[in-house]
Amino acid sequence: MAGFFAWRGRHLPPPVVALLMAPFFMLIVFAFLYPILSLLSLSVTEPQPGLGNYAKIVENPLYATVLMRTLWIAVVVTVCSLLLAFPLAMAMAQARGAMALLLTACVLLPFWSSVLVRTAAWSVLLQRNGIVNGLLQWVGLTSEPVRLLYTEGAVVIAMTHVLMPFMVLPIYGALRNIPPDYGRAAAICGAGPIRRFFEVTFPLALPGVMGGAILVFLTALGYFITPALLGSPKEQMIATLISQQLREFLDWPFAAALVGVLTVFVTAITLAFSKVFRFDRMMGGQL
Amino acid sequence: MNLRTFLRPAGGVLALAMATTTITAAHADEIVIATTGGQMRNTMEEYFYTPFAEETGIEVIPFDIEVPDQWARAEGMARTGNMEFDIVTATGPDLVDKADILLTIPCDEMANVKEYALPGACQPKGLARTTGGMVLTYNTDLFGDNPPTTWADFWDVEAYPGPRGLPDTGDRDWWLPVVALLADGVPKADLFPLDLDRAYAKLDEIKPHIDVWWKTGNQVQQILRDDEVALAMAYSGRALKVVQEGRPFAMAWDGAIRDTGYFAVMKDAPDLDGALKFLNFFYGKADGHPGFIRTVGYATSSTIGLSQLPEDEQKLYATYPANYEQLVDPDFAWIGAHRDELRERWNSWLLQ
Repeated sequence: MAGFFAWRGRHLPPPVVALLMAPFFMLIVFAFLYPILSLLSLSVTEPQPGLGNYAKIVENPLYATVLMRTLWIAVVVTVCSLLLAFPLAMAMAQARGAMALLLTACVLLPFWSSVLVRTAAWSVLLQRNGIVNGLLQWVGLTSEPVRLLYTEGAVVIAMTHVLMPFMVLPIYGALRNIPPDYGRAAAICGAGPIRRFFEVTFPLALPGVMGGAILVFLTALGYFITPALLGSPKEQMIATLISQQLREFLDWPFAAALVGVLTVFVTAITLAFSKVFRFDRMMGGQL
Repeated sequence: MNLRTFLRPAGGVLALAMATTTITAAHADEIVIATTGGQMRNTMEEYFYTPFAEETGIEVIPFDIEVPDQWARAEGMARTGNMEFDIVTATGPDLVDKADILLTIPCDEMANVKEYALPGACQPKGLARTTGGMVLTYNTDLFGDNPPTTWADFWDVEAYPGPRGLPDTGDRDWWLPVVALLADGVPKADLFPLDLDRAYAKLDEIKPHIDVWWKTGNQVQQILRDDEVALAMAYSGRALKVVQEGRPFAMAWDGAIRDTGYFAVMKDAPDLDGALKFLNFFYGKADGHPGFIRTVGYATSSTIGLSQLPEDEQKLYATYPANYEQLVDPDFAWIGAHRDELRERWNSWLLQ
């Protein structure tokens, strides 16, 4: 990265750097910080100044329940996508030629359709008279249609599917950065394939794993469409409640307070992550 | 009928376009009618606005807008004394909430209304436009021999096994307590004020058996069509479409909740006289009703409307006399006064 600001072998003067960075900071300030701060200020000023909206969140156990549920689903989705993504990323890193192209396409193609379309596709597969239920009965595992749609399982499966590319790509990047010599060196020293994986490959891929995990986890926390379409009320996440307050009850200050609570959680979790896993060093994926 | 679902396709773009073009000033020879856009506006235009203009020379300017936006604007106009709407669209609770900016409809002086309006169609602040019901809809292949007839049957999972659907949209925060109390044996006349503790105890019983909490009119139509549910509470207009597609479904009207969309007249309307003339025309325009009813899927409250359809078809509508007398007539004054409590209770119960 250091080379980015070097110009004819010299560093750019600070004012030029500031100028180049200005558009980015303007975007952050006007398109992100300003709106979110004005929303949050609404939560402590309306309808009366004070913490009334936050008191409402604490008083009703519903909000704690939904928040815990949101965290739980996000954790499950993160773990599931890690388990599925790691082998795929390894296959991608090792594949050559047409195979590499095919695998990459499989990961990237879903990005070309919207989340809504992918979610709707799952509801077609999982419905009472859908393909999955048909298959289960044909194989003889079940005698009548079982409830697959509108369950936690449906929400987790679909969210994992939608979010998996965010896990695959960072891990793939990290794996590609591992010089093949390391593996060979370990082999020469007598390490078998399993030991090579756990002592060389996996530790070196960890930055990618952490990057992917935090991307998937944080995105999952704010998920809304998938739980709304595939889950029952028992799977509704905090974002659904926020949207309901905004669109249905037109209670902006209370919705803002919910946003405030979610923001605090997300910030705390991100900070904890970076503390424990030294996130700052890992993002670069440097060896 | 449910406005939120009806309104959704209307979109803001049209409304915006209309706002800039049509709302210049309503002259004595034109009235502005705010309704949802799309199908409702188009159908009203075809069957009522155009014939009204031909007969009276009063042009109707349709104004496409979602109901919550409409009220926000109407209230703003009422405050600034620059009223541009003549007729607006109202739900039952709106007639109570917005009473102070609405005209008391002089039904006794309107010949066609006096002559043809169904009982209850004329409210102090509004006149029924279209009526539907939140109706128990069931699969006739499964229950053809012993059809469910009441909400108590919906609760009876032994006699009527099968996946069930209930709404999680619109006014479910009182719709479902109402049907729970009916299922628990409360007579229709004694429902209000709602005994919420009793209602939620009854709702607890059925909750594990609900497979789908549907969110939109499209969705309830689809879960019926796809056999995702065997019994459901549905908007009658949606159930009607499923039945007319030839699917094996029927409606049980006993205890269906009346859901009426009203015309209301703004107290400061620029052309009060024209507005009332239009309402009177709507009730008397016999040949407009059948096409209108069939297109929107909800019946008008004029006795010369639905009666023109074949008897078999009439039975699919809320205002068919045998259905109409079985409907629950909601106490909107009580509902309006307890809105927050109803919502809070519903949300806490559903999401737990």
